[in-house]
Amino acid sequence: MTEATLINPLDTLVDQFPSGWVKKDERPGYSGFIVEREHLLEFARTMRDDFGFDYLSMVTASDYLAEGKFDVVYYAYKTIGGPALIFKVQVPREDAVVPSLVALYPGADFQEREVWDLMGIRFEGHPDLRRILMWEGFEGHPLRKDWKEPFYEEDVKPYKSRWPEGKPVNADDRNPFNDNVQYPTGFDPERWVPEAETLLYSGLQRTTHNEEFKTDELIVNMGPQHPSTHGVFRMVVSLQGEKIVDLKPVMGYLHRNHEKIAERNTFLQNMPFTDRLDYTTSMSNNFAYALAVEKLMGLQVPERADYIRVLMAELTRIMNHFFATGFLLNDLGVYFTASLYAIEERELILDIFEEISGSRMMCNYFRFGGVVRDVSDEVLKKIHNLVYDRIPRKLDQFDAYLTNNEILRTRCEGVGVLTADQAIALSTAGPILRASGVPYDVRRADPYSIYDRLEFDVITGNHGDIYDRYLVRVAEIKESIKIVKQLLRDIPSGPILAGKPAYQVRVPAGESYGRVEGPKGEMGFYIVSNGKPNPERYHVRAPTFINLTSLAPMSRGEKVADVVVILGAIDIVLGEVDR
Amino acid sequence: MDAGMIWEWIIKSIFLILFMTGGFAYVTLLERRVLARMQVRIGPNRVGKFGLLQPIADAVKLIFKEELIPAGADKLMFIVAPVITVIPALIITGVIPWGTSINLFGREIALSIANVNVGVLYIMAVTSISVYGITLAGWSSNNKYAMFGGLRSTAQMISYELALGLSLVGPILLAGSMNVMDIVQAQKTLPFALLQPAGFIVYFMATLAEINRAPFDMPEAEQELTAGYHTEYSSMKFALFFMAEYIKMIAVAMIGSTMFLGGFQGPFVDQLPWLGPVYLFGKVIVWLFVDIWIRATLPRIRYDKLMALGWKVMYPIALLNVFITGILVVLTTKR
Amino acid sequence: MPPLGVIILYAIIGLVSVGSAVGLLVSRNAIYSALFLVLNFLTVALLYLVLGAPFIALAQITVYAGAIMVLFLFVIMMLGAEKLTESSLRVRGLRVLAVVLGLVFAAEVALFLVVRGGIPAAPAEPALTFGDPAAVGLMLFQQYTLPFEITSVILLAAMVGAIVLTRGDLKDRLARRAALEKKA
Repeated sequence: MTEATLINPLDTLVDQFPSGWVKKDERPGYSGFIVEREHLLEFARTMRDDFGFDYLSMVTASDYLAEGKFDVVYYAYKTIGGPALIFKVQVPREDAVVPSLVALYPGADFQEREVWDLMGIRFEGHPDLRRILMWEGFEGHPLRKDWKEPFYEEDVKPYKSRWPEGKPVNADDRNPFNDNVQYPTGFDPERWVPEAETLLYSGLQRTTHNEEFKTDELIVNMGPQHPSTHGVFRMVVSLQGEKIVDLKPVMGYLHRNHEKIAERNTFLQNMPFTDRLDYTTSMSNNFAYALAVEKLMGLQVPERADYIRVLMAELTRIMNHFFATGFLLNDLGVYFTASLYAIEERELILDIFEEISGSRMMCNYFRFGGVVRDVSDEVLKKIHNLVYDRIPRKLDQFDAYLTNNEILRTRCEGVGVLTADQAIALSTAGPILRASGVPYDVRRADPYSIYDRLEFDVITGNHGDIYDRYLVRVAEIKESIKIVKQLLRDIPSGPILAGKPAYQVRVPAGESYGRVEGPKGEMGFYIVSNGKPNPERYHVRAPTFINLTSLAPMSRGEKVADVVVILGAIDIVLGEVDR
Repeated sequence: MDAGMIWEWIIKSIFLILFMTGGFAYVTLLERRVLARMQVRIGPNRVGKFGLLQPIADAVKLIFKEELIPAGADKLMFIVAPVITVIPALIITGVIPWGTSINLFGREIALSIANVNVGVLYIMAVTSISVYGITLAGWSSNNKYAMFGGLRSTAQMISYELALGLSLVGPILLAGSMNVMDIVQAQKTLPFALLQPAGFIVYFMATLAEINRAPFDMPEAEQELTAGYHTEYSSMKFALFFMAEYIKMIAVAMIGSTMFLGGFQGPFVDQLPWLGPVYLFGKVIVWLFVDIWIRATLPRIRYDKLMALGWKVMYPIALLNVFITGILVVLTTKR
Repeated sequence: MPPLGVIILYAIIGLVSVGSAVGLLVSRNAIYSALFLVLNFLTVALLYLVLGAPFIALAQITVYAGAIMVLFLFVIMMLGAEKLTESSLRVRGLRVLAVVLGLVFAAEVALFLVVRGGIPAAPAEPALTFGDPAAVGLMLFQQYTLPFEITSVILLAAMVGAIVLTRGDLKDRLARRAALEKKA
């Protein structure tokens, strides 16, 4: 193996595996490698251990109904930066079994479960292959192309039936008795006992029981209704006294099959739909989706639009980090004071968003090839005022009152520790990964838009505990201010959209993956187009969903009170976790 | 013991209970307004002028809410627990003097309900049994969060009661009496907070733990235990817990003011005895404000750290304080 | 003879006291038993109060009802031992033992009556200082210094014992630490 191969292995990768079970994906518009499923584990191990692709960022699958097969798609990266290694396994639909990569990349855990749940591909060797987003006992796998939802009308929108005489009709109204809800044959909802719960509870780790005192772990369901789960999220914890023995996150209470709906939508209809994922960072979601589709279309974004995009993305990051820090303090038991102070500036940023996009939270601001409206000089002045005056002052307050607060430090230092190796293996992203000391930031590792021209530092922590996550977030706000200052200085005038605004875009067939460094981690969209007006496959790499994989390893051995804070430091938004 | 005396007692007791319950209502308002101000908000200001009728509106709302008793609960205990919680809170201030005595309707009326010889011990006894309500509420709810809340509060009470009791020994030694009136009179020139700074601080922290106020509000730590021991309570039964918490807050403020801040003592109180209650009231308000301020400022301490603080820091400090105070008292007393 | 009111009060308190003691024995639920015991302590404290010893009464409440019984409750709740089953009650020879002890107690009472020669007359009114903090303190530190010190040493031993018991996994921890050091 020469040095050139090691540095840039992708060009000559096929030659490294002479037996022929690794092929280049040569379909038009596709890239990466196709691996035979018998050799997947061997391939993945080689790539991880010998070539340094230690970070498995995304696992998903897409259904090619006409060809009768599934593609299971993997995106792996090196944490030192560089392009993706894309590898796929093709399996026939009748025999949808793939070896699990959890043993190599523990971060694949939830993602494989999601693929099993929604696509029905079984991962052999997965330690805990249960449904994750749908309820146990759900019939079928909804992302399969031949699965039809209860109120199914047509494959793609716009549905013709919705405006028979120019008037919209709601599909639910036409079907008042819900008579197309399908139950599995022989299913009696009255008698049904969900076996999922027993599976869930039996999966919990236990310590050895003390026979002498007849002690046993206490199992507590924290959630779905619980004040500090940040939404309808549930943690099943087994406790010994106040100590956590094991924890299992249960999610999907807010699941709306985002991806299926998005596959029915047209490409542009999905832009506002991405706002609803992580509803606190709609601009970043827009950004990633726009990048993915633009990659397929081969669009070049005008200079000014790029500046505006980055400006908005960084303001979103500032806002999100304020929000996350404030509510972390809430989880520590400060009665709302810190969070209310922290989101004071967020309101001003939301004012700016409202002024430019018309909406405070669901911005729907990006378009393929640019942004939808120009930013006026007054708005730029407001932003200028924010980053030169108000936000630095707020950060000084943070430093003065929080950073060295005795109680904050004793409760956060050394709690919820994730080592760098663990953080990489668990595919965590964003501030969590960086707080563990891994300087991985998509803006630097795989620069998009104009980030390669901007000057900023990638912030890392040393200890990987909650306190470092807090410090990283605060420092990232400072870096974002730096970026915004550069943008304000350099922003050119010019057009803000490539081409004319259009309701229907033409997207050539092929696949693409667009990712940005969102405030919560790597936000990515995997899009497969078949040339039609709607995406064939639309997958969201939801950062907080994958970050949650690390919740259980971080929580074991900590106290009940800490779990809440650990969860708060992951900074989840259930709209994105459950999709 | 004539009939007038008994009437005087009854009227004073009723007045005390009304004062405590009314005080509870307005301390909630005070807390909400002060917290709001500290959090750049406005707070309740719609019901009545400055929101002054808000507590009444809340009470009406709570009375008309549905009473729920969980199916698996121990019904008797579930109903009795809130009552057991409120009663100690209401009776604990019975030994606190409001002033010396005033002349009203031609009668010399002492401004205290019971001037007992072992007043401080009475306070200790009542505080020590006040934990039962919370513990039983947690146990009888048949709910894991409530259970945790009950267990935590029991452990917390036991840990902090010792420090609390020892912190009160300082004033007893200095005054040479367990009679609360004597202790107040002994502070005529100098409040004991200045002579007993360590005892005062220990008392303040221990009472925060004792009444489950932030940053020691473990038993009802919202972020972990939803609402702790009163998770399953609704309507008036919930209101009773709420009431007990705030009445206890007033009570410890009154006791603390009396034991360490000179109680009703103040300038000109000898000439104008009705100034006594005013001074006490003012001290209590300041004390409550500090409590609220702390709640708005500090994060919650973790449970195990709280226990460690109680046993390994506060208890030894209190013990040492008693030791040193005792020696100094013996050395300085003229025989 | 004390005034009638005091006698009635005494009778009521005594009845409640005996009733709560019976309740403690009869109750199947350990939590209720513990609460009956608390009630019992409270009534006994009231008896002290009626007898004119407020210090002892309040000390009784603080120590027994306030500290010891709270710990009892804590342990019962912690272990989830509130529901006693039939089998856990069946200790061999328990009934026989109860009968024997009861007989011994009855014999003791009889002996006492015989020796003292009938029901004793009401004692003289105690001095006003009887049972006040200063008197109790003086008695403890002058007349009964030795028993007091012995008690405190026994308590200290019990405390050390409790710590040693809960640290039972000391060997485990030492072994684990050694293993860690070996790894490093």
